[in-house]
Amino acid sequence: MKDAGRQLSRQEQLAAMGTRRFSLWNFWISSLVLKILLIPDYFSTDFDVHRNWLAITHNLPLRQWYYEATSQWTLDYPPFFAYFEWFLSQFVPEIAKQDGCLEIAEKAQVGWPTLVFQRSTVILSEVLLFAVLQVFINTSPIGERTQSFVVSSSIVLSPAFLIVDHIHFQYNGFLFAILIASIVAAKQHRYLWCAVFYSVALCFKHIFLYLAPCYFVFLLRAYCLNFQDFKFKSYKDLIFIVKWKHLFQLGGIVIAVFTVCFGPFVKDLPQVFTRLFPFSRGLTHAYWAPNFWALYSFLDKVLTVVMLRLPYVHQFTSKLIQPPLIPATIDEIKQRIVQNNNGTRGLVQDVFFVILPQISPTLTFSLTAFYQVLAVIPVLFDPSYKRFIGSLTLCGLASYIFGWHVHEKAIMLAIVPFSFLVVCDRRLLNSYMMLAASGYVSLFPLLYENKDFLLKCLYTLVWCVIYFYSLRKTTFLSSSVERRVFFLDRLSMIYIYLLFALVLGVQFLDIMKWRYHFLQKFEFISLMSYSVYCALGIIGSWVGLSWLYNFDEPLWE
Amino acid sequence: MPSKTLKKVEKVKPDKRAQESFYASPLYDFLYPFKPAGSQWLPEYIIILFAIIIRCAIGLGPYSGQSAKPMHGDFEAQRHWLEITQHLPISQWYYFDLEYWGLDYPPLTAYHSYILGKLGSLINPEWFALDSSRGLESDDLKTYMRFTVILSEIIFYIPAVIYFAKWVGRHRGVSPIDQFIAAAAILFQPALMLIDHGHFQYNCVMLGFTVYAINNLMDEFYAPAATCFVLSICFKQMSLYFSPIFFAYLLGRCVFKTGIRFPRFLSISLATIATFLVIYLPLYIMGGGLQSVLQSTHRIFPFARGIFEDKVANFWCVTNIFVKYKVLFTQEQLQLYSLVATALGFLPAVILVFLYPKKHLIPFALAACSMSFFLFSFQVHEKTILVPLLPITLLYTSSNWDVLSLVSWINNVGLFTLWPLLKKDGLVLQYCVCFAFCNWLLGNFSFVTPTFLPKFLTPGPSVSSVDSNYRRRSLLPKSVIWKLIILGSYLSMGAIHVLDMFVAPPSNYPDLWVILNCFLGFGCFILFWLWNYHKLFNSVGQSLQQL
Repeated sequence: MKDAGRQLSRQEQLAAMGTRRFSLWNFWISSLVLKILLIPDYFSTDFDVHRNWLAITHNLPLRQWYYEATSQWTLDYPPFFAYFEWFLSQFVPEIAKQDGCLEIAEKAQVGWPTLVFQRSTVILSEVLLFAVLQVFINTSPIGERTQSFVVSSSIVLSPAFLIVDHIHFQYNGFLFAILIASIVAAKQHRYLWCAVFYSVALCFKHIFLYLAPCYFVFLLRAYCLNFQDFKFKSYKDLIFIVKWKHLFQLGGIVIAVFTVCFGPFVKDLPQVFTRLFPFSRGLTHAYWAPNFWALYSFLDKVLTVVMLRLPYVHQFTSKLIQPPLIPATIDEIKQRIVQNNNGTRGLVQDVFFVILPQISPTLTFSLTAFYQVLAVIPVLFDPSYKRFIGSLTLCGLASYIFGWHVHEKAIMLAIVPFSFLVVCDRRLLNSYMMLAASGYVSLFPLLYENKDFLLKCLYTLVWCVIYFYSLRKTTFLSSSVERRVFFLDRLSMIYIYLLFALVLGVQFLDIMKWRYHFLQKFEFISLMSYSVYCALGIIGSWVGLSWLYNFDEPLWE
Repeated sequence: MPSKTLKKVEKVKPDKRAQESFYASPLYDFLYPFKPAGSQWLPEYIIILFAIIIRCAIGLGPYSGQSAKPMHGDFEAQRHWLEITQHLPISQWYYFDLEYWGLDYPPLTAYHSYILGKLGSLINPEWFALDSSRGLESDDLKTYMRFTVILSEIIFYIPAVIYFAKWVGRHRGVSPIDQFIAAAAILFQPALMLIDHGHFQYNCVMLGFTVYAINNLMDEFYAPAATCFVLSICFKQMSLYFSPIFFAYLLGRCVFKTGIRFPRFLSISLATIATFLVIYLPLYIMGGGLQSVLQSTHRIFPFARGIFEDKVANFWCVTNIFVKYKVLFTQEQLQLYSLVATALGFLPAVILVFLYPKKHLIPFALAACSMSFFLFSFQVHEKTILVPLLPITLLYTSSNWDVLSLVSWINNVGLFTLWPLLKKDGLVLQYCVCFAFCNWLLGNFSFVTPTFLPKFLTPGPSVSSVDSNYRRRSLLPKSVIWKLIILGSYLSMGAIHVLDMFVAPPSNYPDLWVILNCFLGFGCFILFWLWNYHKLFNSVGQSLQQL
């Protein structure tokens, strides 16, 4: 009897859902209002960067785009993005042109018209994100629509897009729309579209290269290999595993996209690639992105202080660890510090470790590759959508945590796929909440001006309140809830609550520097606490997700 | 008391439940997912947070008198008061350099400034250094000042409004989610947001105290109500516009209903006097005796300043086009006439409230009274429209379609009359966005629902389960005449905006567009005022349920 009642209510629910539209329209309008009000807000040097690209693509013939270097903000995105900038430059209104929007200059002095124009290009190009996610909602089955709607709205309203795109100034909303299109295509088993969208996204912004292993393995296994009727009799049978037609279709289409993108630059490819991959940059960005290397640098700083204050710690450790790995004497430590302070620091400063061994790019790449391989192996055995999203998230996380010169903005590379994954199972929620909370908080130092403080904090807070709550309400319960480790759940909640203390504490220190001038010397402490604390959350979330991904079989059925 | 309220709730039959006020509006749509009983605690925080977020975003714009040397504007005035109150002894507050933004609000404003100034000096003493900080403009100072307004609003205005919306909703048997929708509709009133957080003032404190007073009246705590109202007057004298009604209501409550209640009368008068004493005592003791108190009153009521300043949508300013009052009459005569006109304007409401001190009449009566002050009294500023708009906006808790429509309309007219001021401040963008956004939230743009688009592209409810065939209406009253008036006024507003934007006014009437603005505003206010009186007299026999 009870069951019947429950079934009925379930049916009623479904019927009620049928009358809902699940349209992102209202969300678009209300977020549009906020975005318009943010036009006069702070913008970073990325604004000048993109303005300069508008000028370059508008004024110069195509082949010179990647050679132009009047301003330090040279074009360093792949050609599709350059075409996009060229396209935008066609619409610059007269008033903005007079304002100097399209002038190639070393340092541009532009005003309100240019600002409004550029901000509105971000706002308008972001419509694509809403469109793609609306398609995602419309194509998902009725029973999953609520979940899809929660996921989609969480992405379009994400604080990261608000902070990075509409205040800091970038076009991530538009770029991620293309990536999400490929995820949606994968969900519908339209593998060719998946490949097209991904390669287009890659040709817009090469940061998506970090996700390439996952796409490669997924498309290969799901579309080009067929193990269904495979019986090994001789090596000749291996040929029939491969669906050659599919393989050629896929390869052809990907090559076509890249040809359209890089074709016009075929004679200048080396120059394009030196611009795209500037290896001269340091391990960490000016502000350490909250990843493994932030913890590593922090450990180095702590060890330096400890060893200088308490020399016997050094004596003790140097007995255990041989000198090439750590400095042989205290004097050498001091010498290294002096060297570091006088050292030639470029535009993007290089990182130099005093106590711990230096990190080479090769090491970071091998670590990234290792963890990415671990993430894609399950896809090779089970090329389901869920696995694919899981491995996508893990690939994004691995590259973020171990990558070379990672920007804090790259966290979206992990959060976006994770959003699609989290509705599948309640147990993923804690890991997701930790990643989203720490990832978004780690973006706060991008907006260092005090006028944005309240806005960024409250927006992130209200986003977290709404979406952590709605996800908890809507994610599917799994059969194996009892296997949750409640201690870890509590710990992650404590971690999230302590983010408040971090943000408020750092802001307090920052405010007090006007009154107590000596605090200005310790400005690095606030940035360091941000990156160290957020790194803990991101790595914790990665560990949690990896555990579920590799060892919890019911979740992936 | 609890048993009484319980009975009232029970009385409401399910079929008689008030129809949901903002059904199918975007506001309804956003809060609908929190309708299940388990999630009803959330919307309160969500609307507060979003209310603060939009205030922060408006605050990114310029403020009045930004980089307009040497006098700047209201922002500099407030900053200056933060500066003088913490550096000068109380005796100097109302005397110090009166030419440069001398303090002209009652003492509670001064104490408020004192506290905020001390707090600000803890952070950065340069912001409020005596004399040397005059005309100081920096991003961080602006941020701090904006923050103080937000803080004041969080303490004084937002909780009061939410309490009011919940109280009315509970007593009318409205579902919790609808209570929060009404609260959000009140909190997103554009005029107050733009004046306080854009132009820069602390009206939210005065209005907040008034709402606290109303809340206490609702709960039948009369002495606290009197205290809150006196605090409101002691913050800004403008809330005197409400005083006849408060006086009449409190007196009526002491006299009618269950015979004359002398203890209640005594407690109310004691509370009033005591609050005034407490507020003025520091000024008397530390500020050099009666002289200082008198000086503050003299500063607060500047009768020497003429019947109106600038252009304002009230009777004197508008009819001044035809009758040159300042030439024909002396200052004293004008004072008398305006006093008589104002008194005639509010007396019917006062008498009615005195005879029938009923709770559901309070917002209407307050609106009638404060609107008469705005329309007919001496020395009115355009910003003062916020005072009558407060009780009017509180009527968003109603579920009568006509009331909602007129409230939404008059809010738009009120915002429209603030246009010249906001334009001067450089808040054009914020004005346009808030105007559109707040109307959209209430569902006023529902008429632009195209039918040829696919369902998911059609503007309208996105998460709430509203039947797709449901014909959504914009907030327009049922009567055809009112519909015509409202649509006509909107069209004229649009026309005036277009003229203002694209056509230069004739050279001998440089203020023509502003005068047109005032003209239209005045006409609408008068009409609303008459409707409000009509409504007030008609609802005497009704109850809170029919509000």
